[in-house]
Amino acid sequence: MTSEPNFEDADAFYESLLDAHQGLSREQSESLNARLVLVLANQVGSTQALLACLKVAQQTGDETL
Amino acid sequence: MQPSTHPYAPALMANGYEFSGGSGYALPQYPFSPPPELADLQIRRHEIVIVGAGLAGLTLACALNQYGVRALLLDEDNTVGVKGASSRGICYAQKTLEIFKRLGIYDRIAAKGVQWSVGRTFAGSDEVYSFDLASASTHNISRQPPFINIQQFYVEGFLVEQLYQAANRTVELRWHNRITSFRQNADFATLGISTPAGDYRVEATHVIDCTGARSPFRAWVAASVTAKTGDDRWCIADVRFKHPPPVERHTWIEAPFNEGRAVWQHLMADGVWRIDYQMRPDADPEEVSREAVVRTRINGQLGRDVPHDEYEIVWIGPYAYRSECLNQLQHGRVFFVGDAAHVVSPFGARGGNSGVQDADNLAWKLAAVVQGQAGPALLASYHHERHEAATHNVLVTNRTTRFLRPADGAERVFRNAAISLAKRHAFARQLVNTGRMSTPNVYSRSSVCHSSGGRALQNVALLWADGSAGDMADLLAWTQGHLLLLVFGHLNEKETRQLRQLARQTGARCVQVVRKAALATAKEHVVDSHGHLAGCAGNPRWAIVRPDSYLAASGQQLVDAFLTQAVRSATGAAA
Repeated sequence: MTSEPNFEDADAFYESLLDAHQGLSREQSESLNARLVLVLANQVGSTQALLACLKVAQQTGDETL
Repeated sequence: MQPSTHPYAPALMANGYEFSGGSGYALPQYPFSPPPELADLQIRRHEIVIVGAGLAGLTLACALNQYGVRALLLDEDNTVGVKGASSRGICYAQKTLEIFKRLGIYDRIAAKGVQWSVGRTFAGSDEVYSFDLASASTHNISRQPPFINIQQFYVEGFLVEQLYQAANRTVELRWHNRITSFRQNADFATLGISTPAGDYRVEATHVIDCTGARSPFRAWVAASVTAKTGDDRWCIADVRFKHPPPVERHTWIEAPFNEGRAVWQHLMADGVWRIDYQMRPDADPEEVSREAVVRTRINGQLGRDVPHDEYEIVWIGPYAYRSECLNQLQHGRVFFVGDAAHVVSPFGARGGNSGVQDADNLAWKLAAVVQGQAGPALLASYHHERHEAATHNVLVTNRTTRFLRPADGAERVFRNAAISLAKRHAFARQLVNTGRMSTPNVYSRSSVCHSSGGRALQNVALLWADGSAGDMADLLAWTQGHLLLLVFGHLNEKETRQLRQLARQTGARCVQVVRKAALATAKEHVVDSHGHLAGCAGNPRWAIVRPDSYLAASGQQLVDAFLTQAVRSATGAAA
């Protein structure tokens, strides 16, 4: 897993993500995110990298609670 | 097995479990004869007592018989199967079929059973994905197919007949012998046994518990069990259609005809189909298994009101999934085998298949110890190897359970995501988990397998020295329970001499494997024309193969200290 900057265009991705969720109910957003997680996970592939990503997401969540 | 309602019914030894026009199966009945202990009141010491003549107990008995080892097999009733025509196991995996080939009943299973390799998975009215196991490279070099479906009582019946027909029978079968008490010391166990003609006791150096999921031995030895009970409820309907559906495994994750819950459809012998419906968690087992309710479900599945004479219901059975695994598979003189040791959900054919593979693992070890070729360390490896296998099966089946019965909230959201993606994208089909089909377990923590071994070798085809066709199972049967040392390729005189000496010292049977008959120099050799045997062993110079067709170790150097030590370690000898 890399935590160094790796986006070709971070702002453009972020905008597209928000656009994709625009007008969706909370439930629809939840479904979209779930599909997106699975699609992205397949791009990563490596179990080690995926578990590291999961850990980063979990630990960051703890800090903001 | 359930106690028979007619304990003194006359024995029917014919192959009499034929389908009898809708009234179910007439299962065979085996003869009860009063054991000699009742006449002379002696307490005899048996080296091996197997308790329970189900799939695991009978496999063990047949294997021991083949190794020429004496054993006593006790069963509380006098027939095969459970609850009449019901069949617990229906699906026999390649590794299990390879074991049955070695035990001599494979041809009967193949003739009676149904081969399948195509599985289709549906969600709603859409096919999510399909697979064909026959084209998978992991399956196609064995002489046995990926799976055969057949009712469990046929397999058990074939094993019983194999025992009765054996030219030299070393296993004594005692029907209507029920275990009522148990105690053990460091050297032997004492079993109390009840029969229709009276009660008696025997002593046993090794007790093999094959009594199934309700084993009384678990309490007798105070075994600790890791268990998990879910709220997933299912109801089986075994039916025979007049116009049968295609020979494929069909799985609905969300069946429109079952209120969006899962359904399995699988063929067995005699045109009987097993249809397994997932029920609401709060469903009343009695209500969902009423014949009228079952017929309503089947009408829903076929999309019309099906006349009663278009199919008959052979058996209906509601059940709940559970997973249990003993933390130790050996307690003193007692070894736990099959369901007595572990129970898993039926996903992927890991129940009966692991029982057969437990039995095959233990049989050659018991034989080696009883015949004085190995010490108790070899028996201790049974726990290492088969507990690892059981733990793996629990892990894999629990993952499937979680996919098929997701908790509300995120689990369901992710399942919906996986299913909707799988309909369009191949990658997501990997996430759709309707059961991962059983493959031979790997032994990574075994005390008797080197890190270069621990894998099963498939039953590849070979040619014997005289040019006739054979296979790995034949070669293993020929070793009669000894280790098989395969040496690949050319052998010079020095190597031949060293190998001969090694074989003499260790009892291992040494066989040269060559690609062409003309290249053979050793008297004992086989021809591996396509290199399949070498390939599945990982193309080594030598491989030590155990009687259960597992690789104990392999290496590239002839004949060095590692090879000599590897042969000794494979039977548990200290380094």
